[in-house]
Amino acid sequence: MTSTEQTVPELVDGLLDVRDLSVVYESPGAAPVQAVDHVSFTLKRGEFVGLVGESGSGKSTLGFALTRLQKPPARTNGGKIFFDGSDIRELDTEMLRKQRQGGFAMVLQSGMNALNPVRTIRNHFLDIFRAHGHVAPADREARAAELVRKVELEPSVLARYPGELSGGMRQRVSIALALSLEPQLMVFDEPTTALDVLVQHAVMDTIQALQKSENFTAILISHDLGIVLEATERVLVMHEGRIVEDGSSRDILERPQDNYTRMLLSHYADPRADVVELPGFPDRHARVAAGVTRAEAATSEPTVVTRSVRSADSAIVVDHVSKVYPPPRRGEKPVRALDDVSFTLEPGQSLALVGASGSGKSTLAKLVTGIEKPTEGTVRFGDVDVTRLRAKGLRDLRSNVQMVFQDPYAALNPLHTVEYTLSRPIHNMTDLRGDDARARLHELLETVGLTPTETFAQKLPHQLSGGQRQRVVIARALASDPQVLIADEPVSMLDVSLRAGVLALLEDLREKWGVSLLYITHDLLSARLVTDDIMVLHDGRVVERGVTADVLRNPQDDYTIRLLDAVPNPRRLREDVA
Amino acid sequence: MTSTQNVRIPTDGAADGAVAAPSRWRSLGRTLGVVWSNGKARVGIVILGLFVLVAVFAPLLAPYDPKDTSFDRNLDATGAHWLGTTAAGEDVLSQLIFGARISILVGLAAGVLSTLIAVAIGLSWGYLRGFASEVVGFIVNLFLVIPGLPLMIVIAAYLQNGGILMIIAVIVVTGWAWGARVLRSQTQSLRSRDFVTAAQFSGERAPRIVFREILPNMTSLIVGSLFGAATAAILAEAGLEFLGLGDSSIVSWGTMLYWAQNSNALLTGQWALLFAPGLCIALLALSLTLINFGVDAVSNPRLREGKAKK
Repeated sequence: MTSTEQTVPELVDGLLDVRDLSVVYESPGAAPVQAVDHVSFTLKRGEFVGLVGESGSGKSTLGFALTRLQKPPARTNGGKIFFDGSDIRELDTEMLRKQRQGGFAMVLQSGMNALNPVRTIRNHFLDIFRAHGHVAPADREARAAELVRKVELEPSVLARYPGELSGGMRQRVSIALALSLEPQLMVFDEPTTALDVLVQHAVMDTIQALQKSENFTAILISHDLGIVLEATERVLVMHEGRIVEDGSSRDILERPQDNYTRMLLSHYADPRADVVELPGFPDRHARVAAGVTRAEAATSEPTVVTRSVRSADSAIVVDHVSKVYPPPRRGEKPVRALDDVSFTLEPGQSLALVGASGSGKSTLAKLVTGIEKPTEGTVRFGDVDVTRLRAKGLRDLRSNVQMVFQDPYAALNPLHTVEYTLSRPIHNMTDLRGDDARARLHELLETVGLTPTETFAQKLPHQLSGGQRQRVVIARALASDPQVLIADEPVSMLDVSLRAGVLALLEDLREKWGVSLLYITHDLLSARLVTDDIMVLHDGRVVERGVTADVLRNPQDDYTIRLLDAVPNPRRLREDVA
Repeated sequence: MTSTQNVRIPTDGAADGAVAAPSRWRSLGRTLGVVWSNGKARVGIVILGLFVLVAVFAPLLAPYDPKDTSFDRNLDATGAHWLGTTAAGEDVLSQLIFGARISILVGLAAGVLSTLIAVAIGLSWGYLRGFASEVVGFIVNLFLVIPGLPLMIVIAAYLQNGGILMIIAVIVVTGWAWGARVLRSQTQSLRSRDFVTAAQFSGERAPRIVFREILPNMTSLIVGSLFGAATAAILAEAGLEFLGLGDSSIVSWGTMLYWAQNSNALLTGQWALLFAPGLCIALLALSLTLINFGVDAVSNPRLREGKAKK
């Protein structure tokens, strides 16, 4: 379909014109949901625009509507989308297929899983060339090689199968596949969200460079305002199906008009700064300077009314621990997930364990909680050797060492009410029964801020928001009155605006209940907020450790510096500009 | 508590206010609605319902006593005997109506029993790890590789005319292993979920995790395996009776086929003697299979019908 391209004069610089677009979800048996509500905007040729919103804001729905990829129960119930002068809502299936070449393309969040595992990368390219016939058979090989080089991959990947490539490489391949049709408009839907922090950064750089060199028009959909502000020139902020703000990146950064945008912006800070403050978080460093360290606060008032008597020595001591997993495939080397790691988590201390995926931080959490046994070394909790515990001993350990899971959507049984979920640990690990147990349950809900407690006790997980679910998970971890909380990326699955609340809750609990906290994360900003000390893990080895504020302000190891650079931070951009 | 949280909770609560209060009956009703909304399942439910009604009201519906041998022998279809009479002089229609009772009883009893065994063994097998799992696996595989029908025949011959209870026992013993295997693989995938680990952290013991946390999440799979087991049981019962391995004095579709075969019904041109019970067996098995299409839609929303692309 090249005719549209040629008929439109080059003088027209508007490529996409969306007028009053509305998309509704109509699931049978449920009230219709207006996901996109009278959205209008225009895109100039060659513009790189960010579309930002939290989960449920309708940003992906809008992206799917623009590329005509939406499926029932979603339905466009109003408005027009003019792409290059023609309304794409009126294209029939065959015209839609043809225009995918030289028209619009989309790169999905899970695009890296969209590759056919039994076909080589070369075949993926050849399929597309064959379907559209826009590359002469003799040139196809050279064109495929050129495309993968554009996304900074070696042409040798063409011979490989998707399973042989890493997640970042696969996402690059799917970007190259989208590019192979020479689209005028590319929609990137959370292209880096499923990738590791460091890889995210590299892929974003590639996308930016490509957009400049190929000069296509691009929309970057993301939940992360930081990433979008760093990458794009203009930003649309979406909230509850409407575009609440539309302006240049710099304007949004310096003069945000809408309250929602301001709220989103307020949740970004540079973990390297001397003073780090977020809504609900006064600077930790200032408090420490004032002489109230967390550990002291905890030990000076260790008995809140509800606390049971605890043993004096309740530090977790990890002593020269290594963990080796058997090789994933025959003929390969065994995987050394942890290599000679030692640390001590004192009562009341909060320690951050930081690293990208594959650094061994989650393995360490499994060893500390006794889910797995180390290959070498010992893990002790007080006098107990965790590595030698059997079923009974593990249950005793878990009344003292509890875990907050990463994904609040997976950590709650969808069929049990909040009341059931919370009553089980109370029943199993305390002596409270009947009315006492019920009182305890409501006390827990109140502690995590789920009030009125009677209402929340009766809810099922699907009736709660992500933040509320994570609070239930935390309440469950507190039910046995533990001394140690292991939090494995407790906020990484939550929207930015909900993160601060959950982090503040963890912080609060540590202060009031004297719980020690092992905080596992790749997010250095949150580590700066809730921990006193930090340990940076890389390839199973500790590369740096010390007081959190010191380490983040003066990182010594290259790896720590790379992690710090990967933190999206709009304010850094502002400083660059200034 | 920080101010951000206090602000947030009421808004979340307001959003949740739109969601109706949870109710087990409501969710059960919704599940049945999903099954009913599937066209194939609806046909299956109607057929099964008819058979159950016929079985329950057999004494009212049947024109004669099925064991009454006082009629003329080998009659073709007449006004008095719609499907004719047997070589022993019994009314075929009455036998057919009473025979539904046996088939449904055996299907239900043997289906439920073998599903119970499959659930108990499949779930523990999926949850256990290490040596114990290997042992259970060996036993299940043993039952899977032994050819079912010869084993049934051997057991049935050994137990010598034990009547309907013997038939049920034989079917249960030979029929649970496949279900156990299917349930085991689902259990294995569920046991690695976070909420199972979380239950371990809540101090739950293994049996409670298996039966209170994991089991409710695979209800539709278990119901599906129940209908599958019932279908197999109905077919196996008819097969055993047809081979003369059951109590041939009771009236069931299988024994009707047995006696029809013995009296060379096809040679005498009385095709209804073979055709009628055969068709009933096939229809009953078909109805259960059709209902399973609807049950599949409960466990996998993508299989739901009536959502064709617009």
